[in-house]
Parts: sequence; C-alpha cells; structure tokens
Amino acid sequence: MKLTDSEKRMRNGAEGRVIAEAMDYIIQFGEAFNAPRLVDISYCHYPAEMGIYYGDIEDLVRYAKRGAKVCVPTTTSTLCADLEKPSITGIPAKLARLQAEVEPAHRSMGILETYTCTPQLLGFVPPFGSYIASVESSAIIYFNSVLGARTNRGGLFTRFSAVTGKYPLMGYLLPENRYGTHLFKVMIPPERLRTYDAWCALGFIIGKIVGSEVPVVQLPMTKSQTPILPRSDFMIGLGAALATSGSVTLFHIPSVTPEARTVKEAFKNGNVPKNAYEIREKDLDDVYQQVNNIEPGADIDFVTLGCPHYNLAQIEYVARKLEGRRVRKDIRFWICTNRMTRKQAEYSGYVRTIESAGAKVVADTCPVESHMRQSTCREYGLAVPNVRNMVTDSVKMVRYVKDLIGCNTALADTDRCIQSALKGRYDSLQRRKGH
Amino acid sequence: MNMRSEIPEANKLRGRTSRPPASGKKYKVRKIVRGIASGEALICPESFSFLGDVDLETGEIIAPSNPNKGKTLKGKILVFKESKGSSGGCVVLMTLVKKKVAPAALVTIKAPDYNLTEGAILSKIPFVSDLSPKFISQIPTGTYIRVDADKGIISYTPLRFASGTPE
Repeated sequence: MKLTDSEKRMRNGAEGRVIAEAMDYIIQFGEAFNAPRLVDISYCHYPAEMGIYYGDIEDLVRYAKRGAKVCVPTTTSTLCADLEKPSITGIPAKLARLQAEVEPAHRSMGILETYTCTPQLLGFVPPFGSYIASVESSAIIYFNSVLGARTNRGGLFTRFSAVTGKYPLMGYLLPENRYGTHLFKVMIPPERLRTYDAWCALGFIIGKIVGSEVPVVQLPMTKSQTPILPRSDFMIGLGAALATSGSVTLFHIPSVTPEARTVKEAFKNGNVPKNAYEIREKDLDDVYQQVNNIEPGADIDFVTLGCPHYNLAQIEYVARKLEGRRVRKDIRFWICTNRMTRKQAEYSGYVRTIESAGAKVVADTCPVESHMRQSTCREYGLAVPNVRNMVTDSVKMVRYVKDLIGCNTALADTDRCIQSALKGRYDSLQRRKGH
Repeated sequence: MNMRSEIPEANKLRGRTSRPPASGKKYKVRKIVRGIASGEALICPESFSFLGDVDLETGEIIAPSNPNKGKTLKGKILVFKESKGSSGGCVVLMTLVKKKVAPAALVTIKAPDYNLTEGAILSKIPFVSDLSPKFISQIPTGTYIRVDADKGIISYTPLRFASGTPE
C-alpha cells in the first residue's frame, strides 16, 4: 500500500505508540482488501462499548488510560443502559454501574457521549462525497444513501480510524462500487406509504431480495404525476429495514437521493437492468404475515417505538396521542431516543405528558441493546424471556427481539402501537378497515 | 500418489517434467492477516457464522447443520467456505481469544468479510483466503496442516512421510 510520508511517520511511532499501533492495524486491514492507499476521514460514529459484552468496557478503560485521543468529531452508538435514568429500564444496578464507566473513558478520549443509533438527528450530517467511518447499519445506510457520504460497514476498527483520522480506500469509498445493481419498481398506492411501518416493510422486502448489493428503488407517482418525497424518518425506517433483512449498505431512490437524480444515473454507464422487481401492496401485506406471530386482540406486555431512535417530531406526535390517556396497567411502553432529544422533549413538556400516561421516554438504549437479552437475563438471574408479546412500528426491532429477547412480535403502524398500549392487547383493526 | 504441486503457477514454471516438492502437498492462498500456525484442520464445507454457530464459552460448534457439531475450534485450523452474517464475527472471535478457545488460524475459499478480518487482525490470528475448493474434498478433518500466511501457503505432510515410511 502506498503511504504518505506523514502516514509512515505515524506508523513508525513519531506520534506515540497508540497511533503507531492503530496505523499498523489500519494498514493491515487495507492490505487484506488490496486498498491502494489510505484516505482522511472527517467524522466517526463509534461503537460504544457495552456492559453486556464480556470484557468490552475493561478494554475501553485500558485503551483510554494509554492516552488515546480521537482526532475527528466522533459520536457514539447505543449502550445497554439509560445512564441518566437507569432505573426506568429495570436494568440490574450492577450492570448499569459497569456501563456507566464508559462515560469518563469516552470523555477523556474526546469521544462525544451521544449514545444513539441516529447521530444524524443530532446534526452529524457529513457532506456529500466525504469519507467517514461509521458503525450501526441503520446510520451507515443513511449516511451513504441519503447524504451521499462514503463509509463501509464499520466494526471495532472504527476506534483506530477515530484516533488516526484514516481509513483504507476500499469498498463503498470507491465510486465504482456505488452503482445500483437491482431495480425495484414500487407499485404501491402512495396513500399506503404514509406510515413509518410501511416504509420498514418495503425495505424488508427489498433487502431480502438484494442481500448485500445496491438496490435502486423507484417510488410511485402521486396523482399529480410528481414523485413522492419521503420524510426523513421514513428514510431512516426504510434504510434500517434494508440493513435488517439484507446487509444493504447503500441504496438509491431516483429524484430523492443525491447520487441518482434519474434511474439511468443510478446504474453504471446508464445500463438500467431489463428486469425490474415490482413491489405490490400484496407484498407489503405478506411482510406482516411473515413477521407477526401475535394474534390480533391477544394480550401484550410491551410496546416499543423509536427503532432507530425517534426524532423530536416523532416524540411530539406520541405525546399528543397520549395526552390525557392512560397506558394499560402492566404494559411497558418505551419511546426510545437519544439523550439530547429527550432533554428537549423534557423542556417542551412531551416527556411529562408521556410519563403521565404511563409510558417512558428512554435514552441511550433500546430493548434489543438492553439487559433484556436472554443471555444477559440468564447472567443476572432475571426471568427469561423478559418480554412475552411486543408490538412495535419497526421491522428491525421485530427481527432482533425475536431471537435476542425471545418474544413474540407484531409490526403495526405507530397509531396501532399506541392503541395497543392503551388497550393492553394487539390492536390491528385500522389497517384492515382502511384497505 | 500425484505429488504435483497444487500451485498452478508453480507447475507452469517447473514444466511437466519437474520434480514434485519433497515436503508434501502445498496449496497457494492469499494472505489476509499475517502469521504462521499449525494444527489439525477442521473442515466446514459450507459457510460459517461466528455469531450463532459457536458456543462463546467452550468454542464448540453448535450449529445443527455443521458436520463438525460438538467439536471445538480451540487450536484448530478452521477451514470454511465463507463467513456468513456480516456483523458480530469480530466481537465473537475476540471473545473466543479471551476465553482461550479460539482457532489457531482461519482459512476461507471465498473472499473474507471486513468484520471477521478486523477480529483476526486484533486477535493476531493468521487468516488466508482464496483456497482451492479441491482442498475441502481432498483433506479430511483432523489432518495436521500448516498455514504460512506471509508466504501464502498451506502445506501438509501426507501420512506416509509423517510416519517415516521411506519413499
């Protein structure tokens, strides 16, 4: 691999052992994939060390003590605890204390304590074409697709990119790997695409077909023959779903995402595939059939919103719907977000409204990342499974809680989730009536 | 026994009349992570997922579909078609190292994935790819093999040499 003089100096120890070691790892990594050189990155989204992984936090504390410092703005992904209000998730106090050790370590390294899967909601929006290093599949796909920044699916090496500011030029950093591979024509009536769960279901179908490649998604036209333009939360739900049923890292939506103003532009040399997959309303219905294993009307004990973490407008919406209402006794209802958005939601009174109704605004974590995983419950002597029947508006949540928590699940639109929490049973009426 | 080298380039260079290497069979591979290791081969003809297919405490293979179910990865040269599931492999591999039940080397037929490569670099586990699929049909599990990632070679000594039988 070709290195600049300054990169060679970094590798040879001119900036200390932490940098030398990180450079060695990154160079090995790049050489494994025949990267011709390293590039400078402008931002990192870093995998926060988790109390539920063996030795993870001890490893961070040791690394921080070596004097490691990040050299680019670096945000952190989710934890297994809500560190400001640990008791609201029911996490064992010992595990919460262990998890809290990440904060001083991250602070000493200059890492920002955002602890969220949606750093883009906090203003971390790398410009078009910029190189970044990110973890969290739903954030990665958003950075690549919606913003046009360039990142691969990062792992633990994000740490070495954060301290050196370098990443090998390979994978999705290279323009030739960013062209579309499959064309999908969405033939679903636009009025069916007005809820968050519908975009999740759409992404779930496409991800399953496309696997790890690059889908080009042609959206339906409105009655006035203009393309529908999805809201940013819908784009987050779509991306998260694509990265759940498949390992999609990048998608294009002509006239919406920046690298594909037209279908032709999304494909190399304008070679649009002759065969397009058509996605119909029936396919969308099938997703609910596939992933739901709670009968309509059955008792539930958990409702989750905020996968990936909700934005302020989504929290305001839930607060409005819950105003003056009361969540059924013994139902745990979590609305998950990041800590900064919760602060704003507290300021605006949304948290008070939601809590008065018996629901919780949870920061830093979510059910999948929490102590409610079966393995962690066993370790801490908690009931397994911790949840029996969960209703949620996110297909990513559905997919992962099934195995990790071991509960039954139902995917429903946000209104139905809220209704289910109020009634204490899975309320699936609206979708059937409406269509 | 056909003693010709498995390295196509080497055969071309040597020509048809060249002598076979005396030390045994060699397979050319591509270095992913540096290092040298030897041990018993554990052959998994299909894809392998570190997240889900292996017990984190014991290093035992737990996937019901794996022909080596019940065998441990500890100290073995894990030979598999490709890694399945693109995340989690790194953390699992490092956990196996901490528990001292990690494999001695990783060998794949297809190209590696980023995540497992990160895990192997951090754990200093030699890792090679681009192995000829013939290897899986020719070499049984339990064969003692040597992986030299730096030279890009996997070698083993056929039993009649190992047991000292004269040629």
